[in-house]
Amino acid sequence: MAGDQDMFDAVVMADERFHGEGYREGYEEGSSLGMIEGRRHGTLHGAKVGSEIGCYQGFAFAWRGLLHSCATERDSKKMKVLEALIGMIQKFPYDDPTYDKLHEDLDRIRGKFKQLCSLLNVQPDFKISAEGSGLSF
Amino acid sequence: MSWVQAASLVQGPEEEGDVFDEEADESLLVQREWQSHMQRRVKVKLRGEGGGPLLYRVVSAGAGSCEKEGYRDGIDAGKAVTLQQGFNQGYKEGAEVIINYGQLRGTLSALLSWCHLHDDSSALVSKINNLLDAVGQCEEYVLRHLRSVTSQPHVVDLLDSLQDMDLSHVAPAEEKIDEAKDERFCENNAEFNKNCSKNLSQVDCSSLECCRAQEHERPENPSLTWILEQTASLVKQLGVSIDILQHLKQL
Repeated sequence: MAGDQDMFDAVVMADERFHGEGYREGYEEGSSLGMIEGRRHGTLHGAKVGSEIGCYQGFAFAWRGLLHSCATERDSKKMKVLEALIGMIQKFPYDDPTYDKLHEDLDRIRGKFKQLCSLLNVQPDFKISAEGSGLSF
Repeated sequence: MSWVQAASLVQGPEEEGDVFDEEADESLLVQREWQSHMQRRVKVKLRGEGGGPLLYRVVSAGAGSCEKEGYRDGIDAGKAVTLQQGFNQGYKEGAEVIINYGQLRGTLSALLSWCHLHDDSSALVSKINNLLDAVGQCEEYVLRHLRSVTSQPHVVDLLDSLQDMDLSHVAPAEEKIDEAKDERFCENNAEFNKNCSKNLSQVDCSSLECCRAQEHERPENPSLTWILEQTASLVKQLGVSIDILQHLKQL
């Protein structure tokens, strides 16, 4: 029986040693795998937000220029909403996934954009969404 | 391995009885501890010597399975640590790179809606639509390239390449410029332009008569630069000040 005990001890110790070595190697591998996988997902989500926000921003800037070139009294309300939208976008940290008000602010920006479109008599759907211009996620 | 299944079936009843069995081997306790710790191990049921109670002995499955198990655990642990980190990095890079394309798309959409409202010239409308499709394809290509990159230096190169295309607001990328990577950056730039123009030429071949009608010839590597130039000429055609494109970059 003493022989059995020794056998078990030997196996336990061997196990710990090999487990530890395997663990260390695995940890290194896992660390780099995690970075790659995480980055791949992050890029997709970041690009989604960046694309949408950039679109609203480009749209707003362009329209601000267009309205400036032929401003009328009726356009003052449009300008007000335009400036509000531009301001909201400037403040929005579009590249920070840990921003705690991300979805809240994004929804507010979307709402303001829709308001702007209705003021301008523009259909918000055409070509604004990523899908419309050939982008699909 | 049917005998392994048979072994685990027998396990239950045997455990209950053996704790109070005076004749039981001391080694059984050691074994039980061992079992709860090593559930994934190969177990071989052996008949004890002299017809005694059945003993489980762990066949020394050897370093192989210990290492594999440790390796698996290590991988999970390592991944858990860096997954979020990688996500945050990728998110920032993806957003910063794509936002410029988004701005271009938004600008073209604004021009399109302006056309619809004031001047329903169908030639210009279809031209803008084509440019929008081109931007979309560029965006898609860039995104695919970004996602397939596995090491950080390449992403930096891509950002450098994009910066070379006169995109504004890529301030963060400037800090990353590394002179040692210039050669690779040039290669990436050329490859990017080539691939992007390949995509664009597919778009161009389909009903862009209005474009061909213009004397303006497409440069060697159209890509984003070409789209921007086309947008500028479009603005002039609409009779609008070029200032409205100020936010995009240096045209």
